[in-house]
Amino acid sequence: MVSLGQVLEVLSSGLLSGVLYSLVALGFVLIFKASGVFNFAQGAMVLVAGLALVRSLDFLVAKGIPFGFAILMALLFASLIMALTAWVIERFVLGPLVNQDGLTLFMSTIGATLVLEGLAQLVFGSDVYPLRLFPTDAWILLENLFPGGILVNKLDVWGALIAGVLVAGLAVFFQNTKTGRALRAVADDHSAAQSVGIPISWIWFIVWLVAGLVALVAATVWGTKLGVQFSITFLALKALPVLIIGGFTSIPGAIIGGLIIGAGEKLAEVYLGPYIGGGIEYWFAYVLALAVLMFRPQGLFGERIIERV
Amino acid sequence: MKADVRQPVGGGAADAMPGEVLLSVKDVSLSFGGVKAIRGVSFDIKRGEIRAIIGPNGAGKTSMLNVINGFYHPQEGTITYKGQARQQMKPHIAASQGIARTFQNVALFKGMSTLDNIMTGRTLKMRRGLLAQAMYWGAAQREEIRHREFVEKIIDFLEIEAIRKTPVGKLPYGLQKRVELGRALATEPELLLLDEPMAGMNLEEKQDMSRFVIDINEQFGTTMALIEHDMGVVMDLSDRVVVLDYGQKIADGTPAVVQNDQRVIDAYLGVAH
Repeated sequence: MVSLGQVLEVLSSGLLSGVLYSLVALGFVLIFKASGVFNFAQGAMVLVAGLALVRSLDFLVAKGIPFGFAILMALLFASLIMALTAWVIERFVLGPLVNQDGLTLFMSTIGATLVLEGLAQLVFGSDVYPLRLFPTDAWILLENLFPGGILVNKLDVWGALIAGVLVAGLAVFFQNTKTGRALRAVADDHSAAQSVGIPISWIWFIVWLVAGLVALVAATVWGTKLGVQFSITFLALKALPVLIIGGFTSIPGAIIGGLIIGAGEKLAEVYLGPYIGGGIEYWFAYVLALAVLMFRPQGLFGERIIERV
Repeated sequence: MKADVRQPVGGGAADAMPGEVLLSVKDVSLSFGGVKAIRGVSFDIKRGEIRAIIGPNGAGKTSMLNVINGFYHPQEGTITYKGQARQQMKPHIAASQGIARTFQNVALFKGMSTLDNIMTGRTLKMRRGLLAQAMYWGAAQREEIRHREFVEKIIDFLEIEAIRKTPVGKLPYGLQKRVELGRALATEPELLLLDEPMAGMNLEEKQDMSRFVIDINEQFGTTMALIEHDMGVVMDLSDRVVVLDYGQKIADGTPAVVQNDQRVIDAYLGVAH
């Protein structure tokens, strides 16, 4: 029997986990918007950020440094690592490939993925490292309204809050600041941007840095949820349908796409699962993306691509 | 520093001596593989003048502008700007030294509003660091507002108040050209390069644009190099004209002199192509 309380519980947990997909998708959108590159390495960047964070945190705590201060230091260290990654990618991977075909740039990010994954595990180790930044227990809400109440995971709520702050911050940054404007300018027209004095290589560094920091944020939440481990890179695959549904060029699209997929796959698992066999959660997102591709290839919020022939 | 907003646009001209050479191009050659786009061209641009560059299609006019603002690096020759010789320069460095330009096929940031497009021209004048901008707080916010005022003056000057918030992709061609001019002006250029500012315009739009070019030159003393195909416009606007044909300079002088030069008549004005 389907009860309202159960529907609400499934829906809320779906929506909240959807926000976590959005966190990963955001990194893709940022780079795609600003440089037209589909960055296959985003998942690897989440791994690098997570490993840098958890390993330095463990190290500092073992040294007897108080936990709160150690977290700050570890976040700072991980941010520096992401800045270094951004610089190296701009300087040695994308920089030499300016004005090349989009597919060439995409292939180069696959190369970057392999190097980042290998290097990160070589330097920081390849075990599963537990991360405890956020509470992982649950609240039981509205117990007087529904029998048993509604179970809400605290970590998911944290994730949603952080994603909200991040999106608001990025929106202000893109809309109202000189660098945000320069980012949009470079995305639209390279030579015009250069002609008003915008240095493209610096802008690309900034883009990759911001994407790296978004990866770090994603790593804090996902690392707490799953532990920091290699399989975190597969999040990139989960972000793909989010991007297709929301549109590759839209920050709000990444959020809405994540919500649709999160809620959709949980609802499908619980209410369709019993009839057509379980495990829907694993493929539902991709089928949904396929349907969107057939009817609205630019995604729900993407820019319509009109090509002149 | 010319970052303050008292003076609407231009600047740097009040203290300049008229007639002094601002930019000189000497024996510049540029080729792409086997194609020789420019062959040993020399000319100069004096402070405060409007210098036209004309010539038939493929004469190397746009290539010349691209050399001046650093998109192309010539294989031979030197460019002396404000007394300093240079051979290679990145376009954003040229911009920081006061060279601004517009493009033959309008190159605007299509997704952005008129206001934002012109604001990008202020990039180099804004000093606040990335972190302060990210916070959008205090000094960074005040700086943003100050530059916004400057941009509003340019918008008034070009009479585009009504389309301030319109995404430029939706504007008609003539207005897009005007926004592009506004973006170049926002950099407070000393040397403004205009690549066919009136191409594809109707008579009325051409008259408007001519008026702006003259006003910019007279009010702010901005030096200009202008590529244009409309001979009437060129003869009316420019102080001196340099004529290119197949990458070579074939004439240089006042409009009246150039107009009567036999090589120019043969290459460009008289002979049908």
